[in-house]
Amino acid sequence: MISRFQYFKPHNLSDAVQYLEKEDNSYVLAGGTDLMILLRRNLINAEHIVDIKAIPELSALEYSNSTGLTIGAGVVVNRLVDSEIVKTNYPALQQAAASLASFQLRNRATAVGNICNASPGADLPPSLLVYDALVNITGPHGDRQVPVDQFFTGVKRTVLQRGELVVSLQLPEPGEGDRSIYLRQTRLRGHDLATVGVASRIKPNGKVAIGICAVAPTPLRLFALEDKINERGLNKETIDWAGEEINAHIRPISDVRSSALYRLQMASVLLKRGLLNLIGEEE
Amino acid sequence: MDKDCSMYIEHVESGKRKVTLSLTVNDRLVVRDVDPQMTLLHFLRDELKLFGTKEACGEGECGACTVIMNGKAVTSCIILAIEAEGAQITTVEGLAKDGKLSILQEEFVSQDALQCGFCTPGFLMSTRALLDSNADPSDEEIIETLSGNLCRCTGYIPILNAVKRTIERERKELGR
Amino acid sequence: MEEKKYRSKYKHVGQPYDRKDAQEKVTGQAIYAYDLEFPGMLHARCLLSPYARARIVSIDTSAAKALPGVRAVLTGEDSDILVGLYMQDKRVLSKGETRYHGDVVAAVAAEDEETAEHAVSLIKVEYEPLVPVHDVDEALEGKTLVHEDINDLKHYVGVFFPQKDSNIASWNKSKKGDLETAFSESDLVVENEFSLPAVAHVPMETHVAIVQADPYSNKLKIWTSAQSPFAIRQIMADSFGISETDVEVHIPYVGGGFGGKAGIHLEPLATLLSKAAGGAPVKVRATREQEFNQLPTRAGMRGRIKTSVNNDGTITGMQATYDWDSGAYADYGVNVGKTAVYSGIGPYRVENASIDSKTIYTNKVFSTAYRGFGHLETHWTIERQIDILSQKLGIDPYEFRMKNLLEPGDKTMSGEVLTVSSGSPKDCLTAVVKEIGWTGRKSEEEREEEWKTGKVRGKGFAMLQKAPAMPANTATSVIMQMNGDGHVKMMIGAVDFGQGAITALAQIAAQELDIPIEHIEISAEIDTRANPYDWNTVASKLIFLGGNAVIKASHEMLRKMKDVAGQALRTDPENLLHANGEIYHRHDPTRRLTYKDVALGYMYPNGTGIGGPLIASGSSMADGLTNLHPETGQGNPAAVWTFGAHAVEIEVDVETGNVTVLKVASAFDIGQVINEKLVYGQICGGVLQGLGSAVLEGYKFNSDVQLMNPSFTDNKIPTMKDIPLEIVPIYIENPQHNGPYGARGVGEHPMISVPSAIGNAVYDALGINFHVLPLSPEALVLGIQSGKKSILCTDVDCLPGLH
Ligand code: FES
Ligand code: FES
Repeated sequence: MISRFQYFKPHNLSDAVQYLEKEDNSYVLAGGTDLMILLRRNLINAEHIVDIKAIPELSALEYSNSTGLTIGAGVVVNRLVDSEIVKTNYPALQQAAASLASFQLRNRATAVGNICNASPGADLPPSLLVYDALVNITGPHGDRQVPVDQFFTGVKRTVLQRGELVVSLQLPEPGEGDRSIYLRQTRLRGHDLATVGVASRIKPNGKVAIGICAVAPTPLRLFALEDKINERGLNKETIDWAGEEINAHIRPISDVRSSALYRLQMASVLLKRGLLNLIGEEE
Repeated sequence: MDKDCSMYIEHVESGKRKVTLSLTVNDRLVVRDVDPQMTLLHFLRDELKLFGTKEACGEGECGACTVIMNGKAVTSCIILAIEAEGAQITTVEGLAKDGKLSILQEEFVSQDALQCGFCTPGFLMSTRALLDSNADPSDEEIIETLSGNLCRCTGYIPILNAVKRTIERERKELGR
Repeated sequence: MEEKKYRSKYKHVGQPYDRKDAQEKVTGQAIYAYDLEFPGMLHARCLLSPYARARIVSIDTSAAKALPGVRAVLTGEDSDILVGLYMQDKRVLSKGETRYHGDVVAAVAAEDEETAEHAVSLIKVEYEPLVPVHDVDEALEGKTLVHEDINDLKHYVGVFFPQKDSNIASWNKSKKGDLETAFSESDLVVENEFSLPAVAHVPMETHVAIVQADPYSNKLKIWTSAQSPFAIRQIMADSFGISETDVEVHIPYVGGGFGGKAGIHLEPLATLLSKAAGGAPVKVRATREQEFNQLPTRAGMRGRIKTSVNNDGTITGMQATYDWDSGAYADYGVNVGKTAVYSGIGPYRVENASIDSKTIYTNKVFSTAYRGFGHLETHWTIERQIDILSQKLGIDPYEFRMKNLLEPGDKTMSGEVLTVSSGSPKDCLTAVVKEIGWTGRKSEEEREEEWKTGKVRGKGFAMLQKAPAMPANTATSVIMQMNGDGHVKMMIGAVDFGQGAITALAQIAAQELDIPIEHIEISAEIDTRANPYDWNTVASKLIFLGGNAVIKASHEMLRKMKDVAGQALRTDPENLLHANGEIYHRHDPTRRLTYKDVALGYMYPNGTGIGGPLIASGSSMADGLTNLHPETGQGNPAAVWTFGAHAVEIEVDVETGNVTVLKVASAFDIGQVINEKLVYGQICGGVLQGLGSAVLEGYKFNSDVQLMNPSFTDNKIPTMKDIPLEIVPIYIENPQHNGPYGARGVGEHPMISVPSAIGNAVYDALGINFHVLPLSPEALVLGIQSGKKSILCTDVDCLPGLH
């Protein structure tokens, strides 16, 4: 690590925001599981590190019938894995959380960090996307709320501006009869980045929502595909059809982890398996 | 436990690069001045000379540097030492008590759960953290928890056997 | 696998003792080279070539040199020293041209790692990128030479055969019989090609070397994470033009080797840096990334094999060509290539055969020994070929193998005659085939039925054989001394990097001397000033050669004890027997002495002493080995063969390509189990490494020959989630006449042929023959989708049907 930085651990949000706005090359440290690697590989030159773990409101993991689930920026992934509330109400999110990296890393990595890093293959976004999660952001010009499907702007890029900080994620309450599942393919059973990850959800009104990662520069919510599925009505035939159709909605690339072709195949398989599971017709 | 943030700024503004850090390691309170960029792993090794904790990747991928921090297994290579301000840390050196190996260590020996031994401290710490939070984990839970630790020598099966025997013995001998 | 069924007839040999080093390793006390610190020690960092092949136009190190805390900055201009195990082909620092991405262009020693790293970032180099040699085909064309000076490279003459004006570092050959006639007169001739990528050893402790070059003499003090202290000593002496005695090599605990730490690696660079820094100790530690892209790997290989058979299933001829992509340097790679010419037709009786094995330079990461030393690769070729032959002949693959496996009286490829004490390949195969419940291949109809469920099961098996690949003059030695308490201190020159060697050797000594294993003091740490010579800790030779040396030393120790005891007890030493740490008269057991009584010399009641401290030694040399004939490959290359077989059952998810390994049965004719617990560990570990090679691991290079996966993020190794559901070890004990207690080595063998067995099981499951590794989920799916029945390459570009 060549970076030589100053470390700042604010106790409230406004101090954090002020500092981040004031100082060049300042980075937010929450779990550090991504940041520390960037530092170690000298991919960034940090002059200031702002550790947000002492800001009390960021450690909240709360659920209420009116606001749904709130995940503070300091909440580590294993808290989602262990939360009965998440498991019951947002199963896809719980499954995605449980599949992310390794156990030790999940003890440090935060859910918010997973989206802020904006990796195309990040595991949590597909589930957050199908639950229409909102990203609560604070910054020098006040607070704003961005739907998670508008949060990512490119590979490793988000809407966050200088001085801005994600405070929390908010997932609306799912409602009676809501079902969801997250499936991913990896190169081995052990911890690995997703070759493809697909979150599928059937809402109480019977409509589907589909989120997917590692098939485009950003995680995607496949609205157009959802519309087509919903038009046809969800059944085995539609699911078979959707398995083919999904390939018209994604543009995966070939890289060291997988060929585009295999990603297309896996997107199709994981979507089919997910939806079949949700309608109780496992293959 | 967190220190007032202003203290850190003062340090920096007064031209000092180092920050003062105090934490508990293996039940011992330690206070040191460290560079902000020092990792917890380097702190344990270079400052405290606790060489049991190893680095095998430095990027959180292999678990060789696993220590227990406030009850949780974490990879110390990607944690800044200053993040551990006020923390309780246990390393492999803290496992044996009163000159006697713990049951976990004894079972690693008797089940031959190690060969070169470089991954061993990490495995011991991951296992200890698991069993401290769940005295009777299922095979799946053990495997899920330990799969963040890489071992190239043993093929893992002897490690799994050692963990299972530890659970049995801790139940019988310690009434866990 | 909780219950250990093995029962030994011996008191110590065969007992499942705990490994001697275990306690230090579970308490964090075991010290590795990575842990060592010395007063005034500096830390080094390297600048590696960003190109696979480039001309270095200029280097500006001024900013690096000016950085406070920097003590030495070196480039290729500072030293012309060449190193190499069998070919002196590697510069310590590149000059003129770089030959692979990991070539060291500059190196810095500084007061701490961060400063060294910072300094490296300040070095400015101008390169002129050159077109690299991508693969063995391009290399064989020879338009670009990786080593322009190949004709002049100093090498081990008569054993390795570099070809003039080419990229062939060594071309080894063997042949016997009349292949042409066999091919023309047999019922069926089948030709196939198989290949596999380079794979990393991945020891958990990366390579580390610390060197202190004494500024006032030639003396070099080396502490290193290495498998071969005496080889380092000799090569360092050769390369630096000093005497072996000037080089002291210390090996503390070693965090895994698997062949990757055989030979010499970071030691010369640390030496140059230490000299440049005025003799301060300098530590060079590879990062994980460097471990992948700078330090050597297992070579990629392409095997072409042509086999003739008769309809009754008799193999009549076999012609194999092995092309090893050894990357930029020869290192152990040429020796790996050499083993293929005597082991490269497998454990089969083939009257007419020829093998050409070429170790080839390209601009990739260079290659070295890796557990099994070429055998995983050649067996991937042979055992898949044998399976395909049996498909074509319509003969059960078990029957087919049984018909052709070596038996006593048969000759190996190099002409050695097997005897009843050589071990039995057939026993191994029969055992695993039975364990796996083999009832013959799946029919096409059965397969189609199963396919509908989305999951298809398959069984497969493969043979393996390996002999230690070692020079004809390979030797090892042991020194024993009796301590005042009657315990025995034993020193060896070989390194225990986790395989359990010191424990196994201690068991042999305990057995011979009849004392408790706790009374044998043996350390894993090696110091070439004190420990006796050993050639190299590779090739699973330690139990065989080392065990024999221990037996000899024990005999000498007993003889010397009895000489003194005979005087003390006033009898001919011939009348003395020993047991339980005591020496006694065979007819009057009341006349007895303990070992302790004679350990440092016997003292009469009046104070007179006789004898003196007891010291014994034992040397053991591979007996009767010869170099191979350069053209025919005939000779005696192998002191002892260990045969074995794996059988596996797998389940393939036909949509995702995920493979679940349900069961692995592994049998080895190891002659005699020395320690069941240790052998079991070798089997579990070896099988899992083999599985990694089979379904997961492999280097990926882009079109610029840049390594695309130099980290754990993308160069994965199996985790605890990836273990087979069941591993069944089977120990066959047909004793080796000249092995210690009949034992043979088995350290490397469990890894060999795992990929072949999986490949054969994949055929049984899918009806598709894969000719390339790894059999990753993606490879299987693309293979299935291509609709082809044999898959030679799993890159999308090679499967045009898919687009
Ligand atoms: S060294 Fe920390 S996870 Fe590998
Ligand atoms: S014992 Fe060597 S890496 Fe685990």
